Amino acid sequence: MGSKVNTNQVDLRRAPGSSVFDRREFLHGAAMASVGALLRSPPANSAGGQPEKIPDFKIEIVETEWELSPKKKIRTAAYNGQIPGPLLRLTEGEPVTIEIVNRLDREQIVHWHGQWIPPDVDGAMEEGSPMISAGSRSLITFVPKPTGLHWYHTHTAAHRDLKRGLYSGQLGPLVVEPKENPARYDQEQFLVLHDWEPYFMTSDDGSQMVDYIIASINGRMLGHDEPIRVREGQRVLFHILNASATVAHWLALPQHRFQVVALDGRPVPTQAQVDTLRLGPAERVSAIVSMNAPGVWVLSEPRAKFREAGMGTVIEYANATGEAQAPASTNLQWHYQVFADPKPAIYKPDVTIPLVFTSKFEGHGALDRWMINGKSFPATDPILLHEGRRHRLIFDNRSTDDHPVHLHRHAFELVSFAKTPTSGVYKDVVVVPAGSMVEVDLVADNPGNTLFHCHQQDHMDSGFMALFRYA
Amino acid sequence: MRRSYFLLVAVIAVAGCAARAHAQGNYEIQVYGADTVPPQSTMIELHSNFTADGQKHFIDGVAPTNHAEHETIEITQGINSWSEVGFYIFTSEQSGTGVQWVGDHIRPRVRVPDGWRWPVGVSLSTEVGYQRAFFDRDTWTWEIRPIVDKTAGRWYFAVNPALERTWHGPDVNLGIDFSPAVKISYDFTKQISGGIEYYADYGSITNIASLHNQQQQIFPAIDLNVSPKWEINFGVGVGPTAATDHWIVKGIVGRRFDWGRQKNP
Repeated sequence: MGSKVNTNQVDLRRAPGSSVFDRREFLHGAAMASVGALLRSPPANSAGGQPEKIPDFKIEIVETEWELSPKKKIRTAAYNGQIPGPLLRLTEGEPVTIEIVNRLDREQIVHWHGQWIPPDVDGAMEEGSPMISAGSRSLITFVPKPTGLHWYHTHTAAHRDLKRGLYSGQLGPLVVEPKENPARYDQEQFLVLHDWEPYFMTSDDGSQMVDYIIASINGRMLGHDEPIRVREGQRVLFHILNASATVAHWLALPQHRFQVVALDGRPVPTQAQVDTLRLGPAERVSAIVSMNAPGVWVLSEPRAKFREAGMGTVIEYANATGEAQAPASTNLQWHYQVFADPKPAIYKPDVTIPLVFTSKFEGHGALDRWMINGKSFPATDPILLHEGRRHRLIFDNRSTDDHPVHLHRHAFELVSFAKTPTSGVYKDVVVVPAGSMVEVDLVADNPGNTLFHCHQQDHMDSGFMALFRYA
Repeated sequence: MRRSYFLLVAVIAVAGCAARAHAQGNYEIQVYGADTVPPQSTMIELHSNFTADGQKHFIDGVAPTNHAEHETIEITQGINSWSEVGFYIFTSEQSGTGVQWVGDHIRPRVRVPDGWRWPVGVSLSTEVGYQRAFFDRDTWTWEIRPIVDKTAGRWYFAVNPALERTWHGPDVNLGIDFSPAVKISYDFTKQISGGIEYYADYGSITNIASLHNQQQQIFPAIDLNVSPKWEINFGVGVGPTAATDHWIVKGIVGRRFDWGRQKNP
């Protein structure tokens, strides 16, 4: 299995210059290795009689106390006792075996978000992946594909327990190394956004929603992590993952622009430069920043509420001093189309599947019930896909909420956004704005049950899911 | 969803009674919820209350309430995410007196922030103000109002166990009044909620009035949640005790104005 070892020794194949997981990961890795040696491994879920594969990585799901800042500690479930979980670097086409140990007192499952892998290992029990019962372990093997920034996270429901599901710390980045990188860069940084201490509140439209007190990047509140140190003239590739359970986040860096090279891990046809990035829940952006404005800056949410809650990190040029400057909350715009082919291709779909998103009011003190085509999961009919055919999915959002909808085990291509034709942007999550329509094309090339859902934890818990089946 | 009930504070004595009996001037009939107006926002409400069957005679120089139309303008400014200040202008229109200014009150309020994640909403309001003696023998009054509410599914509960004190007027020596208000409502749809509001004044906490002399009023009421910026409430109240106006029709229309607040994209 070459150089892959278990995840207690994280990211041994880190690219030169990558620093975000350095010291903390090492300390946690060392600590977890010690603890792990004392813990007896529970039985594996793998089939008996077969010689067990040696895992390349080990993910332990444990309750941990985590320090977001010296004054703010939380207790949550996390992978290998760290937030985010260890960065897993995989190689495209090279099989990987991962051991998952569930040390919690409840069953768990880990979803490999963005990977085109079989449903039995994808990590969604709705597709047929087995749950990992409390105190047991599971060994899974898959062939990583496609390349780019992806992630792994729990795929359990939370409902009204705001310590479960993606409200917890069960999340981590995963990168599948491409044979060639889409862009030249000097330094690589991974940023994982998350929100903490959730609570229910009544939204402006009268329905309940989840809000948060704390926000973090890479498990630290702004001002409580090591700055990212850069030199003038460097090109820094940021791999950014929004692992929030429900909140779309913006990021900005004063005096700098982002050259977006990939969305959801897939290279974009037009590497447009933008002032701000927007990431819906579960979306990923890979972007290069040319470090050409020496100083000390805050890369953060431009909205004061979230920055003050902790969502930010400091960028420090060599030899620069002074107070870090934060971005202003202006001109927050995001259009997927600017990254598309300049001349959109026109495709003729073989099959058209309208998917209408609506909600049902359940009381001002309850979460809305969500429906696709008038039905709420699990009381839904499966949606049939035909292998090899091009399916046009029409996301018709008739609700008053934006929805970051996610398709498992596949990517789709945006073909129309707010009635503007587009092509060349492939994603596995797209934010469908309230009251609008987005069209995507899905070429059905990965047979097996495939889950489709809104990636907002409260929405998917309230029925915003459907199962696609191959005919 | 903010509620209060002014002028249950308007307590007048009836000669020969040991405890106070109560006439009322119904200027703001509302059970408070725990929420406050957001910062950089102003809520303007018009409370319109018509006493269809009330006190028909002058008592100690205080005007009768029968067929009086009371219009109250309430302006509430959000200070931060957990406090607000409200200001009231009370007016009365009645046959023979025309439109009259009654008085003004100011009402600061603080609440437990959402972030504390309490299982119920809690806030504390205090209200100080003046009303002309022609409408209330007690011209300066003070009220402190704890507010607890809870939304559970389609149900909403709120309780306001208010305490009131006269600062200037004949009742200045009568101590503190207990004037609870309660609301229970049910969301029939996202836009329409209906329920019961209950208002009372039991008299002094050290000398509870007899049932006959207590104010007891029950309002079947409807809330229309047509927009987050609008507040609409309508109800018809019945007062079964002698000290209570027997029939009151009330309505509240409110509009929230946001000044420079940034919407979260």
